[in-house]
Amino acid sequence: MCTDGIRLEQKVLALIRGEPGAASFEALALEVFAFQYEHCAPYRAYCDRLGCTPQTVTDWRAIPAVPTRAFKDFSLTCFPTDEAVAEFHTSGTTSGRPGRHFFRTLAVYDAAMVEPFRAALLEPAERPLPMLLLAPSPSEAPHSSLSYMLERLREKFGAPESEYFVVAGRLERERLVRRLCEAQWASQPVMLLGTAFAFVHLLDYCEQENLTFELPTGSRIMETGGYKGRSRELPVGELYRQLRARLGVTWLVNEYGMTELSSQFYSREGERKRASRWTRVMVINPRTGGPAEDDQVGLIRVLDLANVWSVACIQTEDLGRSSSEGFAVLGRAANAEVRGCSLTAETWQ
Amino acid sequence: MSATVEQVQAAVAQVIEARERLLSRRTTGEIIQALATAAASWLEPDSPWRARAVAEAPQPTGFSPQMVEEAVRLTFAPITTAALGELVDRELADRHALDGFCRQGSVTARATGPRVIAQFLAGNVPSPGIVSLCIGLILRAGNLVKLSSHDPVFPSLFLESVRAVDSELASCAVALSWPRTETAVTQAALAAADAIIAYGDDFTLRSLKQMAPPSAVFLGYGHKVSFGVITRAALAAENLPALCEAVAFDVSVYDQQGCLSPHVLYVEERGEISPRKFCAALAEAMAAYHTRVPTGPLTDEEAAQITMVRLGYEFRSETDKRVAVWASDRPNEWAVIYDDDPAFTPSCLNRIVFVKPTDGFKRVLSSVQRFASQIACVGVAPFDERAAEFAAQLARLGIHRVCPLGQMQRPPLSWHHEGRGRLGQLVRWTDLG
Repeated sequence: MCTDGIRLEQKVLALIRGEPGAASFEALALEVFAFQYEHCAPYRAYCDRLGCTPQTVTDWRAIPAVPTRAFKDFSLTCFPTDEAVAEFHTSGTTSGRPGRHFFRTLAVYDAAMVEPFRAALLEPAERPLPMLLLAPSPSEAPHSSLSYMLERLREKFGAPESEYFVVAGRLERERLVRRLCEAQWASQPVMLLGTAFAFVHLLDYCEQENLTFELPTGSRIMETGGYKGRSRELPVGELYRQLRARLGVTWLVNEYGMTELSSQFYSREGERKRASRWTRVMVINPRTGGPAEDDQVGLIRVLDLANVWSVACIQTEDLGRSSSEGFAVLGRAANAEVRGCSLTAETWQ
Repeated sequence: MSATVEQVQAAVAQVIEARERLLSRRTTGEIIQALATAAASWLEPDSPWRARAVAEAPQPTGFSPQMVEEAVRLTFAPITTAALGELVDRELADRHALDGFCRQGSVTARATGPRVIAQFLAGNVPSPGIVSLCIGLILRAGNLVKLSSHDPVFPSLFLESVRAVDSELASCAVALSWPRTETAVTQAALAAADAIIAYGDDFTLRSLKQMAPPSAVFLGYGHKVSFGVITRAALAAENLPALCEAVAFDVSVYDQQGCLSPHVLYVEERGEISPRKFCAALAEAMAAYHTRVPTGPLTDEEAAQITMVRLGYEFRSETDKRVAVWASDRPNEWAVIYDDDPAFTPSCLNRIVFVKPTDGFKRVLSSVQRFASQIACVGVAPFDERAAEFAAQLARLGIHRVCPLGQMQRPPLSWHHEGRGRLGQLVRWTDLG
């Protein structure tokens, strides 16, 4: 198993790095499926139920998807979990049990984060910017995939004076604001990276203290979605309007990633996200279970070959739409309007 | 189109005038007769009201035309002279208490309804709002009705049908629409009210109560969940088809969106029919009901939620035999999900029901007592002596309705909605002597 997996991991790495002679996505997707079908027992049982086996699946679009909530019920791996070098947990608290994603190595994860980040957030040949991280550091949140990713990006692309501003679960707003003042006085562009709800906390604080910044040109923000009740929710357009008005930053990027995936997707404001050489994104029509029409709203499904050692095809709980221009994420499918007088899974406490 | 503050004020003036006129001209018996005649006119084979509801209600309610037909039957069949009379008799102790002074024990007294009731209707289940309207009219109150955006059709058509029978009576109610964000309009409606009947989620009820005049009577009806319990005595092969038909009806009516719709069925183990066999039979009954009364079109979010719940359990069930799924071939019609975790699992609605094995009422009580205040109704089969003991325990938890399975969606007109009477809470008494 290990040698198969290691060989496959090398092939995926070659594709991610764009090496000459790397296998095509289409071919590698089927190889990854065959490997995972063989080594991940819960996945195989489900595929068998659907009649989808490496013998019958000849197109990556037919590879069965695993719902994200299955990561709560099972250890979905193709290796013994006691060999894991890392495990990332979901922060969802609704079912009481987090979803867990185990990694046999982080080589692919580390490789997969570079190119999409660089394309969305870095200028060619620029000097490293200070990264102001509105998230906990990995020592504070050892099972957070976001903290892990930010730390790797900080090491690789951040200036030495980069720092974290979430400590003991709290955004240290006074320290962050001081840091923003210094950057403005020194005409030093900065990169702010963090969760949308951390930015909302920052904006609320700026409003309360009547603070407005004009951060130096070249400053940029990467926010990643999901509020999970930790701040008031702002529609993304409003969040971006306030970030421009309060911080003077116009380079605004959304990152779409999740614990169950190894790759991330980025988009500048008003643009769509695009899949990479090693990922494909489909939108599924929930009324038929089949692919949605162009730009029809449905559930986002991601085939991420960087998930070599777990399962590659993930059915997310996010609504989105997709076309040849790329895809857009519209938000969690949970937010259905209540039509009747029953409490629902979402409104029941 | 949104009503304005001026329109609300004009409507209040109109219903007050109509109500003053009506007070001396109608007896309770006559009003009951008129309401029952109007309700019966919905049930006639060529009823124009039903035809219009079937044409107009599917869009705002999200129900299929067949479900609208079902809603017509469930809403109007209980509104009879006998049932309305019983409601007055029970809550006011005398059919004529609203007509004049009546002797009640050592006291001679008469009851008077509120001058104005502001009725805030919500949701797509028509019955509660229609019953509220009947109550307001029996009380000879002026009724200002805020229609639900999910069902502006039933209350408006019902008032029209009352008008066809007794136009003076119908003039005592005016139905208007405005979005909840129009706070000034809501405030104008509340300011005029001596009593408020409100349906909605906790947030809506809280904010209406805060804005209401402190002296006004406030009857709020919130969002709830319901569940069913089936004990060994009902789990015999010969009963199974009828039992499952009854359960499928309770689950499927209003696409499970009503507060009386069960989310979970606790099924006792060691009966002749096991909980899993029950699931298989219930699945057949769910399919049969769906053929007769299909689900309405779902929103993207609803369809996506069902997909995720089904996919999650379908994936898990292939490896973890503590769960199993019986579901429609098409993704969004219905599903019966067996899960041996006794914890109450709220459904995403739209005919997705959980079946959980249990070793008896005691275990069920311990699973549900934590959230008893959020429970509207418990359906039990069979409805025998054991069920009566169970009902006594549920009453101690503060649960307001226990009924036979198959009857969850058919509460009697005079039921204690949220555990209390309505006429009795809304009238004021004048004692004589």
